[in-house]
Amino acid sequence: MAPATIEGLERALWGDGYLADHGLAVALHLALRMRRPLLLEGEPGVGKTEVARTLSRILGAELIRLQCYEGIDAAQALYEWDYPRQLLAARALHAADPSAPVTDLYAPGFLIERPLLRAVRAGDGAVLLVDELDRADDEFEAFLLEVLADFAVTIPELGTVRADTPPTVIITSNRTRELHDALKRRCLYHWIEYPDLDREVAIIRARAPEVPEALARQMARAVERLRALDLVKPPGPAEAIDWSRAVAALGAAAMDAEVARLTLGWAIKNRDDQVAVEDALPEIVG
Amino acid sequence: MSGAAPLERLVAFGRALRDAGLPVGTGRLLRFCHACGLVPVADVYWAGRATLVSRREHVAVYDRVFREVMVGVAPPPPLAVAPRATLRAGPADGAGRAVRVEGEPPQAALASPRESLRTKSFSRCSAQELAALARLMARIRLRPPARRTRRLRHDRRGALDVRRTLRRAQRTEGEPFDRAWRTRRRRHRRVVLLVDVSGSMSAYSRALVMFAHAAVRAHPDVEAFCFGTRLTRLTAALRDGTPDRAIARAAAAARDWDGGTRIGDCVKEFLDRYGHAGMARGAVVVVASDGLDVGDPAVVALQMRRLARLAHRVVWLNPLKESPAYRPLARGMAAALPSVDLFASGHDLASLEGVAASIAGL
Repeated sequence: MAPATIEGLERALWGDGYLADHGLAVALHLALRMRRPLLLEGEPGVGKTEVARTLSRILGAELIRLQCYEGIDAAQALYEWDYPRQLLAARALHAADPSAPVTDLYAPGFLIERPLLRAVRAGDGAVLLVDELDRADDEFEAFLLEVLADFAVTIPELGTVRADTPPTVIITSNRTRELHDALKRRCLYHWIEYPDLDREVAIIRARAPEVPEALARQMARAVERLRALDLVKPPGPAEAIDWSRAVAALGAAAMDAEVARLTLGWAIKNRDDQVAVEDALPEIVG
Repeated sequence: MSGAAPLERLVAFGRALRDAGLPVGTGRLLRFCHACGLVPVADVYWAGRATLVSRREHVAVYDRVFREVMVGVAPPPPLAVAPRATLRAGPADGAGRAVRVEGEPPQAALASPRESLRTKSFSRCSAQELAALARLMARIRLRPPARRTRRLRHDRRGALDVRRTLRRAQRTEGEPFDRAWRTRRRRHRRVVLLVDVSGSMSAYSRALVMFAHAAVRAHPDVEAFCFGTRLTRLTAALRDGTPDRAIARAAAAARDWDGGTRIGDCVKEFLDRYGHAGMARGAVVVVASDGLDVGDPAVVALQMRRLARLAHRVVWLNPLKESPAYRPLARGMAAALPSVDLFASGHDLASLEGVAASIAGL
């Protein structure tokens, strides 16, 4: 069941280890109440995908994930007939009785269900996560728009499958290309910002309980300073969590420049950035 | 409906946003009003953010209009965290510091024999000749090299298409007589043009932006930028209209037209804002500049290396190369050159045609 109020939703997300900013909580609340897809954008690592995971847990709904990639098409997203099995069935029938007419090759048993069809069938019992839609090409985006418009899938051989109540839909994009306006018009939208210092500390503590409070605060400060530098790929909360874990795993109670140097690869994953950061490490560690 | 935010105010807010340039249609407005009924009045700001905004760049405009229109109705928006790179929403109004165009009728240009025009340096062309060149440029076909995509298509050769073959086999009692094949679809690579419009390039930049205009109009996957001390995206400004009008819009959008040059910083800005996000990846990037840079050549070298790693090929057009005596000794040029795959002049139409032809083979 979806929490009835925004505060309730925030608490439920928090209880599951996801610390949403207030704007995100409002957007999620509206997406649930208005039954609209929610388009989430933000820098890599701010927890776009995690929102859907957490939401499915607190709603007690099945998480259905459609990971997009270049070249994804309807057969991989919607449904496909199991041709090899149909063929074997046809031959078996033919061998048993050569005169028997082959009629039920297009029975539901031969249908391979892909994420979108599964989500339509599950209706509001599912959270559909369309992950990194910007990676798919324009044709697929148009196709997805069609499915999202009425949550009905027509299979010519079987008829139309329709969701009585549409599933909760979370779409994420990393903005490697701009999504079409038609799709955006259908969706609610939220840009996830980097968390502020206190929330980042809380996030690190929630996700990596083995990291002591003082270390978490120090890590969050360091990450905040890294973000202020002019980096190609600034570290997101995901990197902050990984980095804190790594430092804690080394048994360090506090981070110094040397520990930071050894574990920097968890926060900075670009060679030019590493070179730029290394000299400034003592100030960043603080 | 929350009592403190009457419907008229919500609608007025939507209208104000539309006037400020946000795409707020009736559908969005309806959804916004609906959303306001579902949240406490303290969250009207966020209800609007979720329903009326769908680009991060629009958030600042939204905040400003919210402060103006919703004052007293709903609590003010939270203080925004400054985004790392703010995109300038620059609606070019066509006025500003447009490049002036002498209003000669285009027929006059036809008098100039096309062959001699093809090899006449842009720096010595009159306004009429440039107008004639614009028409000739529209005929240049950029044929960027193709890349194979992940999408498969039906073909007469290639790998066995099991799905299709088996479907066909059902017509022949399960015997796969009629086999189907598929190959990877091919798609043209994106072309990105970065045109230097600083003062030292003024004799050429107009013609080169005309070239960009022709390319953007003719190909869906061409992006154009101009730069001097800062980078300006021109693709939208060049998308329609006559070359003259498009260039006037472009010049109005670029506030540093005919100013100084900071090549390294501008390439960096391009990579940070667009290139790294995907625009430069696997693309053919064409930089048109004389390489006379006032910035640090080390920055140019570093950023050009970054560009070369992301892009499929890097082309540099330097009009100074038209002189046989030219040597790329300017510090910025020398720093960039190791990262450049094709170095050409682009100072006249014939040269641009040659570049367009060689891009196909890159």
